[in-house]
Amino acid sequence: MTHMNRRTLLGGLLATASVPALAACGGGITSLEGEGNSLAGGGSSKDGVTIGTANFTENQILGYLYAAVLEAAGVKATVRPGLGTREILIPALKGGDIDLLPEYQGALLHYLDPKATVTEEGEMQNALAVALPKGLQILPYGMAEDSDAFAVTRETAKRYKLRSLADLAKHNGKLVIGAAPEVKKRTVGAVGLKDVYGVEFEEFKSLDSSGPLVKGALRKGDVDVANLFTTDTDIKAEGWVVLADPKNLVPGQHVVPLIADRKADSTVRRALAKLGAALTTEQLTELNRQVDKDKKDPEDVARTWAEQHGLAKRSS
Amino acid sequence: MYELLVDLGGWLTGPEQWSGSDGIGVRLLEHLQYSALATVVAAAIALPIGLLIGHTGRGAFLAINLSSFGRALPTVGLVVLVFLASGLSMTPVYVALVALAVPAIVTNTYAGMAAVDRDVKDAARGQGMRWHQVLFQVELPLALPLIMTGLRLALIQVVATATIAAYVSFGGLGRYVFDGLAQRDLVQVLGGAVLVAVLAVALDLLLAGAQRLLFRHRAPATA
Amino acid sequence: MTIDWTWIADHSADLTALSLSHLQAALSAVLFGLLISLPLAVVAHRVRALRGLLLGLSNVLFTIPSIAVFVLLLPVSGLTRTTTVIGLTVYTLVVLLRNTVEGLDSVPVKTKEAATAMGTRPLRVLLTVELPLALPVIMAGVRIATVMAISLVSVATYIGDGGLGQLFTDGFQRNYPTPVITGVALTLLLALIADALLVALQHVLTPWTRKRA
Repeated sequence: MTHMNRRTLLGGLLATASVPALAACGGGITSLEGEGNSLAGGGSSKDGVTIGTANFTENQILGYLYAAVLEAAGVKATVRPGLGTREILIPALKGGDIDLLPEYQGALLHYLDPKATVTEEGEMQNALAVALPKGLQILPYGMAEDSDAFAVTRETAKRYKLRSLADLAKHNGKLVIGAAPEVKKRTVGAVGLKDVYGVEFEEFKSLDSSGPLVKGALRKGDVDVANLFTTDTDIKAEGWVVLADPKNLVPGQHVVPLIADRKADSTVRRALAKLGAALTTEQLTELNRQVDKDKKDPEDVARTWAEQHGLAKRSS
Repeated sequence: MYELLVDLGGWLTGPEQWSGSDGIGVRLLEHLQYSALATVVAAAIALPIGLLIGHTGRGAFLAINLSSFGRALPTVGLVVLVFLASGLSMTPVYVALVALAVPAIVTNTYAGMAAVDRDVKDAARGQGMRWHQVLFQVELPLALPLIMTGLRLALIQVVATATIAAYVSFGGLGRYVFDGLAQRDLVQVLGGAVLVAVLAVALDLLLAGAQRLLFRHRAPATA
Repeated sequence: MTIDWTWIADHSADLTALSLSHLQAALSAVLFGLLISLPLAVVAHRVRALRGLLLGLSNVLFTIPSIAVFVLLLPVSGLTRTTTVIGLTVYTLVVLLRNTVEGLDSVPVKTKEAATAMGTRPLRVLLTVELPLALPVIMAGVRIATVMAISLVSVATYIGDGGLGQLFTDGFQRNYPTPVITGVALTLLLALIADALLVALQHVLTPWTRKRA
């Protein structure tokens, strides 16, 4: 009885909620009949594109950069900031809640295929095309790159004589690593550090993605090793030591747009390709700094950059 | 759905899941510690306030309105605010949990005190009882059922909300919920949620039992 | 910890949008909660055997952390407003159901009997006699549920929604107190306004209680 009640209750709510979705489906079917080969010709961005972004600053800036260049190309773009991790975002992309998201080559590849071994950009692009689920595709990768870094403080580096990830294995069971919770189960994370370098930590502390928790913990000494982003300006400012990666555990992490087939038309492709060719790692790092340190809005920072580089019209 | 429940069974019963520094055993104790401390502190603040305004009848309007105002405080916002002001420690979590628990205790304590029959109080004073005797020997026992209701309500809310500790890097059962969210591991999230609910219900039953055991000889409240 | 007033001035449009979205989520949840609670409360009021079960169930639902409910709904309703509203609705049930049952209980049996004796059909008795008389207690529940829902909306920021809650995660990430303080203040303001409006609504709906108060 209790189950029945709950189910009917939920069913009722969902029925109301899914009305717009059903209506949208209906529209899709009729338009398909009309055009005939809209499947073969890729998607259409006519109805606008929803850009999802992950729960860290840089990804949100990238989302707004995508939006700025798409708007300049006449595509209506909506950004949904801070939706969560890749583990949440990709199912949402498949499910249709979002259409496009700024991704990183290597991390995305390892998410889709944990056994992937390629590290060269072109090869990764091919591997990604194979590994992606039906309905999703990646567009050409951009110049900018934001890799995962495993960093220690200068004191820790000196005390344990740490220069590369391989050195960590000499202190197995003694060091504490801090990273975002999802990194515990990722290849480019705790899993790969163990498999490739034989590193075992005393403890894995679930913190955040190169955010206040993990950086605060590294500063205070609560963690010995921190998973940070290479585009984080604090690494340089704090004098933290990024451990070398001689066995190439961390793959190339060029920014790459991941998009649903249904929206990937030539207008979108062209606009995002232009952005990818213009934005450099240094510029992306600087944009991160403006948002994190100068407390500027990711949206403003992205728009200003796009305008300055002729990728968006100056707003009146 | 069925699959999720089977996986949940496996997750909850796996021996490796229960041991170690991030095992269920430790997480359960951490969660219990956060919840108990927050509720005790909240009670230490809220009980005197509730008793005082109930006894004197003064300041009730203000206290009750402040309490309902307190109910509107967003826990996430409070945690972040105190974190930014004081740095990373359990303080933000405790502040938010106490702020959550105080209104329920104040309002119920006051309601319990206000419900005590005027005639009973007058009779007690007529017998020459001092104010503190009236408060502790007459009013408090009569108001206790409602006071306990407030404490139990506060405790349930605190147990459910103590999950937030994991957002600012600490432990407790919220670890499973937040890690499960980041990893999109629904079994882990469900496991954490079930454990929190079980803990809340168990503590509530415990308090209900204690209440019955302590006050079974007393006459029921005048209402 | 200083407040950056220019940030607030620069973001007045965003803040308005977030506030409205926040309010919409909370109010929809209370509305759905009422739609679910009313029939269930009538059942719990009439069928003694089900009362404990229904109230107990709503109590247990209340002990589940809200963030877990949001995450567990992801396979069903994804990263959408629907997820937020369903999750919040679950939490309104405990107060709405309990108060509606208590409200119905408070209607004197004699009043109901009189209505029935006059030949009024049961459904009409419920709609024209019982529910109106139960309204003050039900409205007390609606007020508590509304304030609770408004304070809870921000938890949905962990699944990318959450109205004003987005200001909390943003301020947290960037070590920036201004959005956080603004978000807390606006949440309190929304709760205050919503509560005042509900009091006014109750005043209009139950004119017979005015003299007594």
